[in-house]
Amino acid sequence: MKQKIRLFVILCTVIFSLAWSAAGVLAASDGKVLRLALTMDPNALEPAMADERNAAIVSWCLYDSLVAIDDDSRVIPALAESWTINPEGTVFTFKLRKGVTFHNGEPFNADDVLFTWNRGKRENIKYKDRFNLVKNVEKLDEYTVRMSTENSSPLLLRFMAEHWAMLPAKLMKKTGEDKFLAAPVGTGPFKFVKWSKGDRIEFEANKNYWKKGFPKAEKVIFRPIPESSTRVAAIQAGEVDLVTRLSAEEVAGLKGDANVRVVSYPVDRVYYIAFNNMTSGKGLPTEDPRVRQAMNYAVDVQSMLDALFNGKGRPSTGFVTPGNLGFDKAIKPFGYNPAKAKALLKEAGYPDGFKIGFACPSGAYTNFQQVCEAIQGYWAEMGIIAELQVMESGKYWDLEAKKELPPLFGDSWSETIGEAMSRLQGALGGNSAAYSTWWDEKIGAMLDQIKGTVDEEKRAELYITLQHYMQENPPFVYLYEPVTYEVVSSRVTDYKPRASEQYYLFETHIK
Amino acid sequence: MQRYFISRVIQSLLVLAGVLMMVFFMMHLTGDPAGLMASRNASPEEIARLRDQMGLNRPMTIQFFEFAIDVLSGDFGNSTRYHQPAMDLILERLPATVELASISLFISMIIGIPLGLLGGSNPNSMVDYLARGAGLFGQTVPNFWLALILILVFGLHLGWFPTFGRETWRFMGLTLPTRSVFLPACSLSLFTLGQLARFTRSAVMEVRSEDYILTARSKGLSVRRIYIQHILRNASIPLISIVGVQFGYLLSGSIYIETIFSWPGLGNLLADAIGNRDFALVQGIAFFSSFVVVILNLLTDMAYATADPRVRYGE
Repeated sequence: MKQKIRLFVILCTVIFSLAWSAAGVLAASDGKVLRLALTMDPNALEPAMADERNAAIVSWCLYDSLVAIDDDSRVIPALAESWTINPEGTVFTFKLRKGVTFHNGEPFNADDVLFTWNRGKRENIKYKDRFNLVKNVEKLDEYTVRMSTENSSPLLLRFMAEHWAMLPAKLMKKTGEDKFLAAPVGTGPFKFVKWSKGDRIEFEANKNYWKKGFPKAEKVIFRPIPESSTRVAAIQAGEVDLVTRLSAEEVAGLKGDANVRVVSYPVDRVYYIAFNNMTSGKGLPTEDPRVRQAMNYAVDVQSMLDALFNGKGRPSTGFVTPGNLGFDKAIKPFGYNPAKAKALLKEAGYPDGFKIGFACPSGAYTNFQQVCEAIQGYWAEMGIIAELQVMESGKYWDLEAKKELPPLFGDSWSETIGEAMSRLQGALGGNSAAYSTWWDEKIGAMLDQIKGTVDEEKRAELYITLQHYMQENPPFVYLYEPVTYEVVSSRVTDYKPRASEQYYLFETHIK
Repeated sequence: MQRYFISRVIQSLLVLAGVLMMVFFMMHLTGDPAGLMASRNASPEEIARLRDQMGLNRPMTIQFFEFAIDVLSGDFGNSTRYHQPAMDLILERLPATVELASISLFISMIIGIPLGLLGGSNPNSMVDYLARGAGLFGQTVPNFWLALILILVFGLHLGWFPTFGRETWRFMGLTLPTRSVFLPACSLSLFTLGQLARFTRSAVMEVRSEDYILTARSKGLSVRRIYIQHILRNASIPLISIVGVQFGYLLSGSIYIETIFSWPGLGNLLADAIGNRDFALVQGIAFFSSFVVVILNLLTDMAYATADPRVRYGE
């Protein structure tokens, strides 16, 4: 008996120490490996299927599009060396880069562009509308393709940079979609090595990358860490090199840490309270623009930013943000002006206010429920009794897509292409957009005009006109554009995040 | 005996059918996933088309029966987020959860049972206070709070364990756990540990006062033999059922612990699936977990009935 116990104890000790040292070897960080934390496991490693930022960031390591967007938000050549657009903005002719190969050695050519377009239009592709925009793709020769759209589409290049990852036609036809997605192949700076779901994704540098001298990192490992306090502990312990999506409070304790640096930047995302004149808000006082202005003047956005976000963030002036094309610096936020709000309400015939329904999602955005409660308080001072319903976010978005939320509801909208069109169209498109609850014919006409204008300068002017109109006739109570916090290990150089919270890893590497 | 088994199996099947129904209707009461599946710029027509394609427009009862028939063949449908069969995703994450569950059960057993045993045999001694304290602590302290404390102390300040994630170790074709499992397993074992300590303690106290212990003692048996052969053996009967039930509970994956430690198991997947309104996946995981619990309960009951005749006559 005693011998057996002794044997058991010895065996346990051996196993335990082996397991201990094995973990030590695995956890040791290699000098050239970039280890990045994600906030969620990607749903797929393919940009047209990527359902949010994490998936897009990881996916774009593997692929290239015909064009790319640079750090200054300009469209630059990628797999297309050059392109021409007809004056109407309906025909795009691309000259493809020669000598580019996919990771499996297959050469890239016009057939792959055609294949990518055809696949992108399929029903199970989340961003199929970004492919459906193109009505026809013709192969003129091995390295020239011509695309045509029905209406002029000045944003096509930006949409391509965001979603058209060039796929290897031959390989994908052979393996089928499921097998391809399990071990994806592109022309991008990194090659797929391994994906253990929920645990890690590993890529290695593509030594034959067409952009000579890139990527600079030898290996990249992404680790999903959903819990933000664990992300903070992980970077402090040196187990990862970059963590994103933290709050001001979470990074506050890291300011003096020499091993890391805190990065913060404004995000291209607007928070707002939407009005409704299409369903639940029909015939209500909020159809009067003076009431809507008053409700903007009644809310002290700066105080909310001070109290809930350490004063970081920018009070919004509309749906076009400072980094967007055609942003008008001259426009000021409404600002807190209760006297003016009262006067406007009186002028509109509601001196004692009114009762109205109001909804906000819970758990979806940082401190947003508190923001909604504060707004409810500000309106109450004007006599506007907003009956706030806080709902679980999944249910909330379902109702929002069906236009079934109360006449006032809070949400936010991000933009990834450096131009506010998707946000404007999505929230103000009326019956053509699921999430829109506001229809203003003038705004609709202006949006159509912008969409049809190829010249960037003219488009910028049109955006400015639209911003002025949307101040006088606000379809929203404009709230704020937040600041995001990230922590980067001091070993990392050349990490350049963008306002869209997207980063590309060509240059980023370990010192 | 046979009648008892048959009635227990039928009961279990009814419970599973009830679970299936609850999971399905509760999930569908919260709205539908069509909106989330389309891009935010989608038109209402596009979302309606998706809803139609997924069959979400049909009467709820018809949807339920179709779902139930598919489930009978092990098919929970495709995850809307991952575009993969839900069952494949569940099986992919299962090893991580099994690893965590077994190790945390092991930890709670090797600490909880001896603690309860010592406490129960020396009532009102220091050991007993420790056992009672451990029982109370384990069952009242929230494990996610303990998890964060463990990460801060042992992961960050002492650097003994990784703060997150699962590292495995391949040895002779086997995937073995490494020290990365230790912190999550400790946090997860807390509740079971407390429960085992308390139950063992009270079982030992109860058995100790039985007449046959007195007889054994008067026969002149050594204290050690009395403990091993009489007290432990008899006290272990209720413990079997607790261990069985707790293992089922641990196997269903802990949402909090797996999320905090970024442990790639079922609980983590479930949190992700709920957030993304992934019906097939939520239904799959919820049903799978209930299935494991029900089966383990059934097995425990049967083992119990075989060991102790009073159970089946009492039915």
